[in-house]
Amino acid sequence: MYVPSDLTDLLEYLDTNQSGVNLIANGSDLINRIQRREVTPRVIVDLSGLSEFNYVRKEEKTIKIGALTTIADLASSPVIDSRHSVFREVATKFGGPSIQNVATVGGNICAASSSEDLLPVLLALDAKVRLKSKFGERLLGIEEFLKGKRLVELKANEILVETIFQELDESSACAFEKVGMRNSLIIAFVSTAVCLRLDKRSGRVDDVRIAFNRVAGKIPERAKRTEDTLRGKPLTMQVLEETKSALRRELRLSSDFRVSEEYRSEVAVVLFMRSIARCYATLVGRSLV
Amino acid sequence: MQLWWDEALSKHLLKFNVNGKDHALVVESHERLLDVLRDRLKLKGTKEGCSTGDCGICAVLMDGKLVNSCLVLAIQARNKKITTIEALGTAEKPHPLQTAFVKWNACQCGFCIPAMILASKNLLDKNPKPTDEEIKVAISGILCRCTGYQKIVDAVRTAASEMRGE
Repeated sequence: MYVPSDLTDLLEYLDTNQSGVNLIANGSDLINRIQRREVTPRVIVDLSGLSEFNYVRKEEKTIKIGALTTIADLASSPVIDSRHSVFREVATKFGGPSIQNVATVGGNICAASSSEDLLPVLLALDAKVRLKSKFGERLLGIEEFLKGKRLVELKANEILVETIFQELDESSACAFEKVGMRNSLIIAFVSTAVCLRLDKRSGRVDDVRIAFNRVAGKIPERAKRTEDTLRGKPLTMQVLEETKSALRRELRLSSDFRVSEEYRSEVAVVLFMRSIARCYATLVGRSLV
Repeated sequence: MQLWWDEALSKHLLKFNVNGKDHALVVESHERLLDVLRDRLKLKGTKEGCSTGDCGICAVLMDGKLVNSCLVLAIQARNKKITTIEALGTAEKPHPLQTAFVKWNACQCGFCIPAMILASKNLLDKNPKPTDEEIKVAISGILCRCTGYQKIVDAVRTAASEMRGE
C-alpha cells in the first residue's frame, strides 16, 4: 500500500506507476471487489488521509463536493439546504449508518455501477466532474464520464477531485425515489431522480431531467426522449399520461435475480410519477392534479 | 477471510488507540481492522458476519463514527481512536445499555448485540432522548437474523431514560 503525503505526491506516484494501481478511499466498495477477485491490484494507494478533498462548498451559483466527502458528511453539510434536500433523501436510503460514514461521493461516482444511489441524482442535476493529473485538469459532464458498468473516463494518471453542479434556484426542484426489499442496506430494484424547472407563470416545464438506475446498460442513464416529450408542456393529466407511455417505450430495464424487467418498469413509472409530483409540490406549494 | 493483492504482504507500522489504550504494531497491507482487533489484540467481542459490509455485525466506533471493521484496512485506522464492545462495562458493572438489553431480553442468539450496543451508544452520545424512529434508523445498518428488533428498540429507549436519570 502506498500512502501519499499530499496531492502532488499522489499525482506524481500515479504518473510513474500506471498499471495495477487501485485507489482506495475508505474501502466500502474496493475491499469487496478484491475479495471477489474482480480486481487484482498490484498496489493500493490510500487516499483516506487527503482530508483537503472532504468539503461541500457553494461558490456563486455552483455547489462543489470534494471526492472524499462521505455520504454522512454530505447529508449533514450546512450547504445542503432544504432546496437540495434530495441529498439527504439519498443518504437516508444509502446502505446503513456504518456505510454512510465511510462511502464517499468520489467513490460512488468512480464505482460506476447501477447500485450507486448517488448517480441518478448527479445525472438529474447534470453534474460535472473535475479530474486532475500531474499535467493539469479537465472538467467532464458526468454522462461523458460514466462510460459503462465499472468503466469511467479516467486515465491511469488521473484522479477525480470533485463534482460540481448548478445550485437549484427558486424555480427548480429535484427528488429521489428508491424501491428495494428493505429501507436500508439494500441495492435498489430501481431508483430514479427527477430534476424539474418550471416556468411558474405559465406552469409549463422549462426543463426536466429524468435519470434511472438498473437500466439494461448496467449504469444509470437519463430518459432523454421522455424528457423531450415533457419539455415546454404544462403538467396536466393528459401530458403526464403521455409521459408515462413515452417512459414505458423508452425504458430498457434489466431483469435479474432481484426482480423481473416487467416489475422494474412498472415500479420505475410509479417512482417517476412520485418524483415529479414531489418536485411540483415543492415548487408550486400544492399537489399535482 | 484473506484479502490478497501483489504487495499485500508489505508491512506498515500501525499506531492507533483502542479503548483508551495506545497500540503500535506492524501490520500487513491486507489485514483488516477486524482481523487486527480479533486476532492480534484478542478483542473477540467484535464479531465477523458477512465480511462484505452487508450485515453490520462487525461494527466498531472509529473516531466516534460507526464503521464496519470488515471494510476498513487496518492501516487506514492509523492515528484513530477505536471503541469496541470491550470498552463498555463489565459483567460486574454493565453499561446501562447492557443492563437494559438484559432486562428486555433483547439478546436472542447474541451475535449482533455488540454492534447493536455500539450503534445505540453512538446514538445516545449524540442524542440522549431519541424517538423510536431515530433508534430504528441508528440500528438500521445492523441485521439481527433472530429479527428481535422490537425488544432492542425497547431496550435502547429504556437505557436512554436511565442514562438521563429518569
